[in-house]
Amino acid sequence: METVVIGVIGADVHAVGNRIIEYALKQAGFNVVNLGVMVSQQEFLDAVIETNAKAVIVSSLYGHGELDCRGMGDRFIEAGYGHVLLYIGGNLVIGKTDFSEVEVKFKAMGFHRVFPPNSDINEGIERLKEDLLKS
Amino acid sequence: MKRYCLMDVGSTFTKGCWVDTDHVGVLAWASAPTTASSDINEGIQNVLNKLKTIYPDFNYESMRLCSSAKGGLRMVAIGLVEDLTLKAARMACANAGAKLVGAYSHKINLQELKEIEHLKPDIILLSGGTDGGNEEVVLHNAKQLAKLNTALPILYAGNKSCQDEIQQILNEAKHDVRISANVMPTYGVLNVESARDQIRACFLEQIIEAKGLSALSTIVQDIIMPTPASVLDALSLLAYGTKDEKGLGDLMAVDVGGATTDVYSLTSNQAAPSGVQIKGLIEPLAKRSVEGDLGLRISAKHVLDLDSELHENEDLCRYVDRITQEIHGTSNSSFDIRLASSCVKIASRRHAGRLEQIYTPMGLETIQYGKDLRTVKTLIGIGGPIVYADEPSLILSQVKQTEADILLPQSLEFILDKQYVLSCLGLLAKTDPEWTLKTMKHHLEKING
Ligand code: B12
Repeated sequence: METVVIGVIGADVHAVGNRIIEYALKQAGFNVVNLGVMVSQQEFLDAVIETNAKAVIVSSLYGHGELDCRGMGDRFIEAGYGHVLLYIGGNLVIGKTDFSEVEVKFKAMGFHRVFPPNSDINEGIERLKEDLLKS
Repeated sequence: MKRYCLMDVGSTFTKGCWVDTDHVGVLAWASAPTTASSDINEGIQNVLNKLKTIYPDFNYESMRLCSSAKGGLRMVAIGLVEDLTLKAARMACANAGAKLVGAYSHKINLQELKEIEHLKPDIILLSGGTDGGNEEVVLHNAKQLAKLNTALPILYAGNKSCQDEIQQILNEAKHDVRISANVMPTYGVLNVESARDQIRACFLEQIIEAKGLSALSTIVQDIIMPTPASVLDALSLLAYGTKDEKGLGDLMAVDVGGATTDVYSLTSNQAAPSGVQIKGLIEPLAKRSVEGDLGLRISAKHVLDLDSELHENEDLCRYVDRITQEIHGTSNSSFDIRLASSCVKIASRRHAGRLEQIYTPMGLETIQYGKDLRTVKTLIGIGGPIVYADEPSLILSQVKQTEADILLPQSLEFILDKQYVLSCLGLLAKTDPEWTLKTMKHHLEKING
């Protein structure tokens, strides 16, 4: 049973989606470490180190994800956890920016997969299973 | 009827209480200097002799003892992430009544290993990883500890998945290996009870011998524990009460010694204030913290360094110079009160939780770390420097909240352990809680704030 760390990054307090993601991952057979809302990059990293998690699912709903996620990939690499899969989804930017641009930006910050608004979490879980098999 | 002799062997004084659990209250007290020689038996015998002389019918069925002699229980804690398993390990040590002499996170290197050898702790607590989590780092650390040049008691309280392997590595290195449940079994969840019990058991079996207390085993029947552990048992009972006898409710206690300052808080579950996010490990309801750098004698110089106000007082600085050189020299009570106030002020601020305001795109947000003690109403003063001070309330009032972001009590009633009963009575807290609680209530004294 692989461990996945989840949480809502930054000063974001949107809590409903986070609980749905926890439920969906548990249904899919994962061991879930849910850090809740208002989670810092360091908290994600610390949780990964202690729990030996193989993936992190970051949510950002309130539109400031870009600011909150800067340097996240580098932080994981620096700590020796660059192999951990980083996924992100929610409402990543404010307004109607073209998603392909958003995806490029977040991939540059070290995220392995970036999901557009209203993505089905089960879709994400399928990708995760595939990626974990590969890694 | 059951008569006990309860002993508290301190670094300078040995105290004895004679009790009969058919009658609420302590029958008699006596104290004598703890001998400086390698054996602490002399002090105990002197206390017993005193009791015999004063009370011809002095007799007891069983003797119990707590000790902080010879530096108390000195421990090293090892964890993985500073704010997670290392913090959990620190809290387990403090709750078991130990004084932390070293703390290490992540993979320990050879230099740190040398440091540990030099520190010569009584017990090492090795933790790291949640259950099923990180194995790599604790395994590395166990292999490092296997290289220690002396065999030591090592308690493993980390990831259960590699417990067998760790036990084997440390056994092969001839260490005295003990195992308890993980101090942080899942992320953010603290579990200190099992580790605490193992530490106490190890103290009873091993440390006593190492500290020249072995001759005691002939006169002390069952329970021997570090003094702060006994005090924590006493305070828990006093706060939470029993089925039939109500406790005092949430409370705090402080104890200033020559080398350390202890702070205790016993609270009940409470919800976070609205609009505040709680972060970090959830701390235990019964929490002890011990500050090894705050005290009235050995650590007095350091107190001056931390408190700039004291530093400006030249007479006080000269006094500190003198007392750190001649620990048993004549003391000056007004200077000691100022030093003790400083110790209590700093130690209680380290013990309490705090609020942090962070500026976010959404404006100001508030995060809480640690325990919210604002609604605690009772503070107990323990130990000579507070109890015998001319104005104990001056020292005790330092615990009150002065900064809005530090979650200390807003108003307090003060109680003194004038007759030094807490440490001794804690030895009966689990055996006869009803009697112990009534007797504590009988002997503790309320004072004006
Ligand atoms: C309820 C709500 C609130 C509540 C939240 C209560 C709470 N504690 O949960 C309150 C009133 C507090 C609130 C506040 C704000 N909100 Co609001 N809020 C909403 C609302 C109406 C519903 C959110 C919700 O619960 N959705 C239901 C859950 C199930 O969906 P979800 O959160 O999107 O999560 C799912 C998916 O996104 C996906 N998902 C999430 N993460 C990931 C990750 C991966 C890898 C994958 C695959 C999928 C995935 O799976 C989740 C489960 O199905 C939305 C609008 C909307 N209809 O979505 C606005 C909305 C999210 N809020 C918005 C805003 C702007 C705010 C505020 C900034 C308003 C303000 N100016 O004060 C504040 C921010 C406060 C803060 N610090 O976070 C905007 C965000 C705009 C943007 N990003 O472009 C939205 C979209 C409204 C809008 N259309 O303008 N909000």
